[in-house]
Amino acid sequence: MCYNPLMKGSPSKVGDEELVALAKGGNNQAFEELVDRYKQKAYHIAFDFTRDREEAKDLSQEAFLRAYTKLANFDGRSGFYTWFYRILVNMCLDYRRSQKRVAAEAFDDNVESHVEPSHPSAHSVSLDQHVLAREISEKAAVALEALPAKQRTAFILKNHQGLTIREIAELMQTAEGTVKVHLHRAVTALRHSLAEFA
Amino acid sequence: MVQNRPAVTACETFEPDLVLYHYGELGGAERARVEAHLQHCEGCRGYLKETKAIAGLTLKADAPSQAFWDDYTREMRHKLAALDAQRSWWQRLAAAFQPWTIPAFATTAVVVLALALTLGQEYWRPTEAPPEQEALMEVLPLAENLEFYENMDMLDSMDLLEYMASSANRQV
Repeated sequence: MCYNPLMKGSPSKVGDEELVALAKGGNNQAFEELVDRYKQKAYHIAFDFTRDREEAKDLSQEAFLRAYTKLANFDGRSGFYTWFYRILVNMCLDYRRSQKRVAAEAFDDNVESHVEPSHPSAHSVSLDQHVLAREISEKAAVALEALPAKQRTAFILKNHQGLTIREIAELMQTAEGTVKVHLHRAVTALRHSLAEFA
Repeated sequence: MVQNRPAVTACETFEPDLVLYHYGELGGAERARVEAHLQHCEGCRGYLKETKAIAGLTLKADAPSQAFWDDYTREMRHKLAALDAQRSWWQRLAAAFQPWTIPAFATTAVVVLALALTLGQEYWRPTEAPPEQEALMEVLPLAENLEFYENMDMLDSMDLLEYMASSANRQV
């Protein structure tokens, strides 16, 4: 019988590297543990790009499946999450490219109606504030959607996910200077669109 | 979409750097230069404040319930199981290949090829005939066409006879 550290105790104590090695050896439970570990991060990254709960779920799950099929190619030079993150973000960029139109109205319908009762914005703000927040959210979504694809991508990767300019340049396969220009133009456009709320 | 003018404007030369400054992408001298400028420029300070506010407006938190995550995990299990079922035998075989097997297979292939060429050379080389047989094979085509050559000799003789006959006539 082969050694399986997942049987010994808490899976959370097993490192990513060991889980990857087990998964490469055909241990599905090890890969499921990796999914469990990173599903929330993956989902939120996908949500930044899709602005849709179901799309974000599907996209992040597809990224896990792609990682699973390509696991043999993972050489361990970077951490599993770094490697997986690249797969996910590239899929998000492909998604953005393939999406010619995302209904901005659907964004708020999906998001606002799914906010859990425990979420502070659902009960701790007054009705007026809630209406204002909704209006801002709608306008922000429209403004983001109106940005050219490269500006929006650079902005999301920087503003939402906190990547460095160098990391963004690598992901977008462009020069750092170009990323800076995209970012500046995105901020300028958003300032114009959302000035009334600043 | 109606575009509004931003409430404040920054100095043109500093504006791009203010965005990078906001995101912590300026270091060393550039950062110090921007900070020194901000101390006495109200417009740039306002721009920075506005940028921070607007960047925050675009962020949208989503907090799915535990039931959502349970579904997520269950769906992933099913999808992984379906993927495993779809994997064909050759994919499993390919996955089983380790990096060291590729040069090993390549070396084996080269050795097999070299042996095949070395040993096969003897097999494919045409057998050499003994000297007497070679001589016979050279003469054989002549023997087969002997009658032809004899006819040619006769024609030569006829030409000679005709020449001699014509010479004799001229003398007469």
